[in-house]
Amino acid sequence: MQRLKGLATLKTDPATELSLTYRGRGFKGVKGDSIATALYANGVRIFSRSLKYHRPRGLYSLDGECSNCLMEVDDIPNVRSEVMRLREGMVVKPQNVAGSPEHDFMSFVDKLDRFLPAGFYYHYFHKPYKLWPFFQNRLRKAAGLGRLKPSFRMKGSFDEIYPCTDVCVIGAGPAGMSAALAAADQGLRVILLEARPWAGGFFDYRSTEYSPDVPLYKRARQMADEIGQRENIRFFADTSMMGFYAGNVITAFQTGKESDSFYERYIQISAGSVVVATGCIERPMIFDHNERPGIMQVNCGHRLARTYGLLPGKNAVFSVGDDLGLEAAVDLSDLGLKVMCVADTRLDGQAPHLLEGLEKRNILFLRGWAVSRSHGNRALKSATLCTIDGAMSRKIPCDTLIASAGLTPAAGPLFLAKAKIAYDHFTKFFLPVTLPPRVHAAGRLLGYTDSLSIEASGRLAGLTVSSDCDVDVKNHIKDAREKLEQLPGPARGAGLVQSPGPGKKRFICFDEDVTIKNIYQAFDAGFENIELVKRFSTAGLGPSQGSIPGHNLPLIVAQHLQQHGDPSTTPLPTTIRPPLVPGFLSTYAGKKSDPVKRTPLHESMETIPGAVFRRAGAWKRVRYFSDDLTCRKEIENVRNNAGIIDVSTLGKFRIFGPEALMALQRVYVGDMSKTYEGRVKYSAMCNEDGCLIDDGVVIKRGENDYYFTSSSNRAGSTLEWIRYHTRHEVWDFSMVNLTDAFGAINLAGPRSREVLSVIMDTDLSNDAFPYAGYREFKIKGEIPVRAMRLGFVGELSYELHVPSSCMRTLWDLLLEAGRPYDLMPFGLEAQNVLRLEKAHIIIGQETEIRTTLHDLGLGSLWYREKSVYKTVGAPALHFTEHQESRMKLVGFKMEDPHRPPQDGSIIVDEKIRGYVCTARFSFTLNESIGLALVHSDLAETGTHLEFFEGNKSEKRLHGTVVSTPFYDPDGKRQRI
Amino acid sequence: MSLTITCPICGKRNGYEFRFGGEERGPRPDEEGLTHEQWCNYVHMRKNIGGIQREWWYHRDGCGSWFTIQRDTLTNLEIKGAEEI
Repeated sequence: MQRLKGLATLKTDPATELSLTYRGRGFKGVKGDSIATALYANGVRIFSRSLKYHRPRGLYSLDGECSNCLMEVDDIPNVRSEVMRLREGMVVKPQNVAGSPEHDFMSFVDKLDRFLPAGFYYHYFHKPYKLWPFFQNRLRKAAGLGRLKPSFRMKGSFDEIYPCTDVCVIGAGPAGMSAALAAADQGLRVILLEARPWAGGFFDYRSTEYSPDVPLYKRARQMADEIGQRENIRFFADTSMMGFYAGNVITAFQTGKESDSFYERYIQISAGSVVVATGCIERPMIFDHNERPGIMQVNCGHRLARTYGLLPGKNAVFSVGDDLGLEAAVDLSDLGLKVMCVADTRLDGQAPHLLEGLEKRNILFLRGWAVSRSHGNRALKSATLCTIDGAMSRKIPCDTLIASAGLTPAAGPLFLAKAKIAYDHFTKFFLPVTLPPRVHAAGRLLGYTDSLSIEASGRLAGLTVSSDCDVDVKNHIKDAREKLEQLPGPARGAGLVQSPGPGKKRFICFDEDVTIKNIYQAFDAGFENIELVKRFSTAGLGPSQGSIPGHNLPLIVAQHLQQHGDPSTTPLPTTIRPPLVPGFLSTYAGKKSDPVKRTPLHESMETIPGAVFRRAGAWKRVRYFSDDLTCRKEIENVRNNAGIIDVSTLGKFRIFGPEALMALQRVYVGDMSKTYEGRVKYSAMCNEDGCLIDDGVVIKRGENDYYFTSSSNRAGSTLEWIRYHTRHEVWDFSMVNLTDAFGAINLAGPRSREVLSVIMDTDLSNDAFPYAGYREFKIKGEIPVRAMRLGFVGELSYELHVPSSCMRTLWDLLLEAGRPYDLMPFGLEAQNVLRLEKAHIIIGQETEIRTTLHDLGLGSLWYREKSVYKTVGAPALHFTEHQESRMKLVGFKMEDPHRPPQDGSIIVDEKIRGYVCTARFSFTLNESIGLALVHSDLAETGTHLEFFEGNKSEKRLHGTVVSTPFYDPDGKRQRI
Repeated sequence: MSLTITCPICGKRNGYEFRFGGEERGPRPDEEGLTHEQWCNYVHMRKNIGGIQREWWYHRDGCGSWFTIQRDTLTNLEIKGAEEI
């Protein structure tokens, strides 16, 4: 197809060709094309088949207002091909097609409309009931648009930004640009959103004179240039507004250009004040077969020629209700389209110069006429026109029918902003009656049609938002209002609701294949409220969310009520909800960033052969040091020689100040006044329910100066917790999170003292540094160490806390020193088994949200004589102390020593009685042991337990409750 | 989603930076003479009013302080200087 050349309004670059594949064949488009225009240029006229009737559908709007041009692009279904810019190598497929778009073997359904009335699925298929599964299956296959392969993964990166601004202007047409410039002139920061790739709106593609020698498109470009030069205006093209929320928060999706780093990005704008200048869309003309390929909106045909250089056809009939339609007829005629005739539903009110223009070009003008039926099969052949009273008619051959009943404001943003909106009988628009504070409207969506009025109303809105932002512009506002009042006001709108004549294929909603007949069926079924008519008939429930039926449906409902009820009924709009346009869920999901923390020893760990890293909370940690997942070697080496493990993920904190102890007494269940220098104090934190949330050690380093640890998971929230529970106090203390500033290594095993002695001069004997002791010293005279003797894994052990920067040095020193003693690193799984043998709990593994300190047998940690400190959870510990039928933590041994149950297996008799927290085969004890939470009546030592693994095996396993710890019950080994 | 919160230290910031700490219900009751029911009410029961309430927020991605603001739960807007309910 020959493209028009040399038009100043073109947005395409015919010199740069881009290739695309459609239905397996290669096509060429040009730079600047949308997918739909590129296909149109290659002669594609049928873009899809309709949802229900499989009717052929073609290019109708250029702004994605209906599902006609939803296509599958690069495996992504439901892409709005009129909006999506063409990129090199795109693979495009038609949707909802059985066979090919031209020959769809499901198109026979079109003849069956009689059997598919509105709400047919409510009536049929459920009698007899046993047939329902069959129908359900068939309906599911037929319903929905587009197919997504289960294996499909969204490509490209998605971004999100959260700009704040004084003023946000939605829509960069002449009114929006005027508003943005007026506000920017006052020194305000402005964000300007535009759904199309360029600014300009209704000016952008028209050559009508704006002022002598300046056509509209040139005026639009002048303004766009000025916008580009303003540093305080941030212009987002390709950006569709999605939602409008309280406090003037606006969300929008921006489609990236090829040069952008994102495919699509989420923009959430906080604006001081907002101007909605979204202009108008077209109200479809309703007539028989009003959606045949070849029928399109006025601005679709006009922009196809002016923006993309594509004449919509050869012989065209126009049936319009607005001066823009007449203008398009004149202009397209000059560009080479043969205009057979122009029918206008209006009896008067046309601009005289446009009528002259038609006459000069010998174009037949039919005043008070409208199209009543289109003819043809897959392509348009002719159109029947008739007078709006239906008295006379004539049939005119054509391949293109430009049809539009008039304009309708794109007032979605105003609805979302909760403006009060009512039908206006003069403009025939839904117009804002009252606007919420700091929200304003401007331009064509208020009914202005004169270019100067549109700009003036934009300027007035721009000044009004400035006054919202505390700029004194009273005089400017007065001048701007006076100027607007001198210009032509809102124009009278075309009133025709639907064209006369019969026909059962008069579509009100293209997405859902809803006809006027279906709407009447809804009336017959008793639905007269517009919201119910909408839901019963499904008009406006499709992907384009009511752009096509949004205005016509209220008119039809009101017309029905006027004829059959209250003659004074005025049309009521349906509710509009976000998102205003369909968008990708990926864009809502935003950046797929999954930040992970690495300990200071991460690089050292990576060099160890066999180290297997696993995600543990925020961290990456080594779970195994070999491919033996039982970790036998690591475990036995700790029990017999010595091992080291990186425990840098522990939460580490400093708390200091005169009232630091009060804060510790508040959150720890123990008596923290019994924290002595040189000793570690082990204690726990509960929540207000008395349930254990954390355990750790507290060390007194000086007067009113403490160092304490938390479990890894609580590292991020401990300070918040302490501050929360002291929020009503005015205690004088300060806290520092040292988790990342310090690393920690646990050196454990009977030979660990010997290993540490190699690099230390200090006396490490049991008398000098006993169990539960705390010492500070320097290794090699350089590395400051905070050392504590703890017994988590049940052996002599030293937990060494050093500044993160010293961690690698210390690790290397220890490995080197430990070589003669068979020192080996061990991972999280080995540690898990070692501590299990000691029945030391891990919070979250042996506890759940309702596990109290008493349930765990740790009640002795609670010091009850300190109610003055209002210890968190203490009242609940009182109340639950002797409560019956709770879940208790018990240790158990298995009857079959080599068969531990899976973690999470349930404990059963007739009912579920508990579950396994951790269970392993213990090499040290040569039997299978575990910890479980069970109902209290099963907690007695010696009780038989029955395990059911569910998914792993149907067979029940058997075990017995035993006392804990399993290993070294007297704790001698950690005290040596 | 649209909430902005005025932190006494950092000023007016995006609501995403904060963690909600529930409605203000005064300091914890004393343990002496506390009944099971009173305790449960304190821990678990909320007024959940539609209107202006005083509530706690934590500036998690900022200065790390707990403070109260007044917010209209119907409009999700912070209210300055409104009469406390």
